[in-house]
Formats: sequence, structure tokens, C-alpha cells
Amino acid sequence: MNIVARIKNLSEINHLINIGVDVFLVDTTLSVRKINPQIYQNLSEICKYNKPVYLSVNKMIHEDDLETLEEIFSQAKNLGIDGFVIGDLTAMLVAKKYDLLDKIIYQPGTMNTNSFDSEYFFEKGIKGITISKEITLEEIQTIFKNKKTELSIVGHGYLDMFYSRRKLLTNYFKFKAMERENIIDNYSFRLKEEVRENSNYPILEEKFGTHIFRDYALESYDELEILKKGIDDFFVERIFLEDEEYYEAIIAYKNKNNVKSFLEKHHNHYNKGFYYTYTEKLKDDSND
Amino acid sequence: MTELLAPAGNLEKGKIALLYGADAVYIGGKQFSLRARASNFDLKMIKELVDFAHELNKKIYVTMNIVFHDDDVYGLDEYLKELEKINVDAIICSSPVVIERAKKLTNLEIHLSTQFSVTNHVLADYFYSEGIKRVVLARELTLSEIKQVNDKTKADLEIFIHGGMCVSYSGRCTLSNYTVFRDANRGGCAHTCRWLYNLYEDDTLISNDFDYQMASKDLEATEFIGELLEMGISSLKIEGRMKSIHYIATVVSAYRMLIDDYNNNRLRPLSFYQKEIKKAENRETSTGFFKGQTTVDQQLYNQRSEMPTQEFVGIVKGYDSERREIIIEQRNYFSVEDELEIFTPSKITYRFKLKQLFDQEHQEIESARHPLEVLSIPFDFPIENYSLLRRVKDE
Repeated sequence: MNIVARIKNLSEINHLINIGVDVFLVDTTLSVRKINPQIYQNLSEICKYNKPVYLSVNKMIHEDDLETLEEIFSQAKNLGIDGFVIGDLTAMLVAKKYDLLDKIIYQPGTMNTNSFDSEYFFEKGIKGITISKEITLEEIQTIFKNKKTELSIVGHGYLDMFYSRRKLLTNYFKFKAMERENIIDNYSFRLKEEVRENSNYPILEEKFGTHIFRDYALESYDELEILKKGIDDFFVERIFLEDEEYYEAIIAYKNKNNVKSFLEKHHNHYNKGFYYTYTEKLKDDSND
Repeated sequence: MTELLAPAGNLEKGKIALLYGADAVYIGGKQFSLRARASNFDLKMIKELVDFAHELNKKIYVTMNIVFHDDDVYGLDEYLKELEKINVDAIICSSPVVIERAKKLTNLEIHLSTQFSVTNHVLADYFYSEGIKRVVLARELTLSEIKQVNDKTKADLEIFIHGGMCVSYSGRCTLSNYTVFRDANRGGCAHTCRWLYNLYEDDTLISNDFDYQMASKDLEATEFIGELLEMGISSLKIEGRMKSIHYIATVVSAYRMLIDDYNNNRLRPLSFYQKEIKKAENRETSTGFFKGQTTVDQQLYNQRSEMPTQEFVGIVKGYDSERREIIIEQRNYFSVEDELEIFTPSKITYRFKLKQLFDQEHQEIESARHPLEVLSIPFDFPIENYSLLRRVKDE
């Protein structure tokens, strides 16, 4: 099972290699929830480290994005990029034009929730799918049993739970008539619920929209051996984590002797996500 | 010809929607649909509505748009075969498992749900090539983007024109899963996006007494209908399987008039159709993404509800020609001396002051107090069944 880590800057690459990172994930101009889109300018440099490199192309693709998407695939083909982590199936279709279909990892966040999805995308010829973040460990193991395509999981870090095209912070400041700079790409905003005062959801507005994240980061140390049975790529999410904590988290996945000290130090903002929590269905909804 | 597509949460709403001008109605089954609380349809009810619609040369679509987990797949094949047997006109779905099983086992027409959030022509064309006739576009598209997709895709397009809007891209939200353990993509959405929050920057409170909101006003697209019709969009969709009979009838009727008037070069001022909608609309509305990126105007910051200008009080069930009285079934309190309006499926309205009211034993009464009681009102001529009786509020 590969540990996939996000790169923030060139100077940390050797350190990431030393702590056992197997694959680098690099932001692009069509990334959302990005940590450093400028790093994309150094793509050819990153490729020189002889480690597999994936590109994050996880924006919802609107008509105006199609040209940029083509540019990304065109450039990546020349560099021998190993994978494209996409959020919108459109990228799979554009990749096909560049003969890059077998490099596509479909990671919509939701949607990949059953065994059939693996079979469906296997038949489409893509590299793999990332299992949705809202399903249980038991459900994940069911998907393993019928595994056809490569499977991946975002197994660590602050996972997003909401992706809007709207500018939900900018609009709020306008509504309040508050003059305000530094709204976009500001990682310091948090939401607290009216009822649960200890809730603390990170909210991030980017150029392409607004994202809300879980208030506890996910960790998968106890589940790692089970996950290894079916997971090919284990993504360690970096957003909102300090560099040192991020490195320590990876070290603990590579060497279980480090898990205890990691959790002792950081346990207060981690939980198990949905591994053991089955979410209820069929109550009420607003979608059709 | 562009279709007007309406929601229905139960059999009566389905019939009302069709009678008041919808060309097609979408409903949820007891299984596999995102709206379990909308008094969903069992197969017998679906058949009854399909037969009713087909008599009128209209269509019924069944939504199966949950995101399937492995344990949801049980019974899927049989259900699909049953839907084909009772002649539903299409299914609306988003999971590959439904699409592929439907293709393998049936000849059902397949529409891709907005749950998939299709935002460009490349993806629309992909699903068309996969055997999906119609794609419901994401509600995040501007009018210009809709036009671009429409110009380039082979797929038929369905566009939302009225009703509630997710703030997140549909199908991409798990707020409800995380906050209340209810699966947003399997019918459990708790509308967490409509809750009140405080906004902090680091430890500094920015908002004031939980006034941070991200909720959206409902969509109202009367001003864009002409352009959508000119584009030749296949279907214009009204959201709201949970909405009342009155809402369905009123909103469907208003858009029916607007579409027909536009097509017949008899367009009235838009304010006419908007005023009609306001007779039943109880939420603030806006133009969503049609005009471009949303602004403060599309957000709901003060949680204010609009009051409908008219209140639904009864439904016409028949006419007693001997007594010259319309028979109605009560739905809300009203009384003698109230200003009432009868609103018919044929778009004719009759306004009058109620002078006399009789109960089922034909005893004269002063007010209609009991839900579903059968009452009669003197009226000189018959009124179509399923006409609605509305109490006019102060204007």
C-alpha cells in the first residue's frame, strides 16, 4: 500500500522521501482544497526525484475549465505523470484523448460507495477509484471482496464534507457590510454550531468556491492492517495540519512503533470518522 | 417541445400537477429515492398515476437517485423490471449500478439525476453515449453555461427552474452525515446548511449571535423561461416533492401559463406570473446561478419566510346540480364572509365572498373547522374537480 503525501514545497521533498512517502500528490491550477498551487510550476523538478507523482485535478469542471484541463494533461503526458486524482468524471474523458486513461484515479469524495463502482470503472479502463469518505469499515471490506480496479482511500487528516460554487465567506462579509481583505485562501476561518458549542468546522473559500471540513481529523492507525488488504493508495490529507504533525503522521503509518507517541501528542483533534458509524438513510432530502 | 416537469409526493399531488399543466411528473418509490418522507409511492400507486398520466398523454418518471451502498442493491433488479412492466416513462438515477442494471434488464428510458452534478457538455455527452437519454444539469450553471452545454451536447437537457437549492454541489455534501449521522445522499439530509453558525477567524468571533448562514433562497426563473425555450431545452423542472398541493398547483399553473403565453406570442408582464407564484410560495426566491456567480442576493441571511398571499382551504370534489352547489373537501379553516377564490386546472379563477356554507347533512354552518370534512357552497354552475379553493388574504 502506497502512502500518498501532498507536497507543499520543493525543500521538503527529500524529507518526505526519507520518512517513507511512496507517491507525491501535487496541486494544479484545477485543484480545490489546495495547499500550494504554485508548486505546479515546479512539476518537472518534482518528477526528477524518481518517485511516482500524482496531480490533483479535483475541481468540478465547468465549460471554461475544459481548455485548462487539456493543457494539464498535455503537459503531464510529456512528463510521465503517474496518476491524476480527479473529482469530476469529465477529467476521465479528457484524459482518454491523451491516452492517459489508465492514470486516472476517480476521487469525488462521495459517490464511490459500493462494489459495483469498482467494476464499472475497471471496465472504463481507469487506474482506480477512491472509496467514499462516508462509509463504514465493514462496507469498505465488502468492496474489497469484489475489487476489480485499484482502490484508494483518504485515510488521514481533515476531510472535506461540503463543496459549493458559492462565495460563502465573501458574501457574508458583504451582507454584514464589513470591509475585509484576505478572505480567499485564508485557512483560519472556523464555524461553530449554535447548539454544539465545541464544534469547530474549518471553512475555506477559494477562487473556485467554498469548502467546509470535519472538525476532527481522521486517523486510521488501528485500521491500517485491514486497509492494507484492499487499498493500493493511502492518501494522507494535509490541509490544516502543521508540517511537523503531517510528517509525524506519515512516520507513524510507516512504522507502528510511532503510533502511540503520535496519538498521545495529537489525539485531541482526531477521531475515526465513519469507520464505525453507520449513517441513517431515508429521512428527508432536498435533492432530486 | 419543451416539457414542464413537476414534483409529486403522493398520488393526489401527482394528479393535481398533471391537471394544472405539468407535461410530466417525477415521483419517488418506496425504495431507492431521496425523499422518503414525501409519502412515497408503492408500485400500485405508481401504476395508478402512470395510467392517469398516460390517459392525458403525459409522463411519469420515477426517481432512484440515492447513492447506492452495497446493502441498498438488494431488490433493485426486481424493482426495475416492475417499473418497466407498469410503463413508467423513465427513471432518474445517479449510481452506475442502477444505470447498468436498468440497461441490462429493461428498456427503461434513463435520466441522469442532478445528484451527479453534470456541469459541462463533455460529461453530458459521455452519459448520452452510455445510453442515458437525458441529463439533469447541476443547479450551479449560469444561463450562459447552460447555453454552451446545450449547443454542444447530444443529450437532452433538463434544467431546474423553481424550488429549493442545495448550497453544495449536489451529491458532494456529507454535512448531514457528519453532524447528525444521517446520509445526505441516501435520503437523510438534515439541511445542516440551513443551520445558524458563528464564524471565527482563529479565536476571534466575527459573526454576531449566530448570524452566519449559508442557506440559499429558493430558485425562481420566470425571467429566463423565454431564453430556455428558445434554446430548446427538453425539460424545465420544478423542485419540491415535499411541497403542498396548493404550492404544486399554483407554481405549475404559473409556469404553464408563462410557457404557453411565450410560445403563443401572448406574453404578459412577468410580474403577472410572479404574482401568481406568490399566492403559494412561502420562501424567499432568487435567480440562483442563472445570472452568474451568486451574490448576497441569492443567500438567505435573515431566515425570513414570505407569507403566501393566498391560503389553500379546500379542494373541489364534485357538483350537486340539483342544489346548484359545489362539493368541497376542507383543507384549512375558513368561514362565511371570507373572500374566496376558486382556481381551476383550466387556469380560470372565480373570486367571491362566501355567503353560505353547508355541512354534509346540509345544515348551514358558519365556518369550516374540521380537516377533510365534506362541505358544500352555493354556486351557479359546475366547477372542474380538483379545482382549489383559496382564501384571499389582505392584498
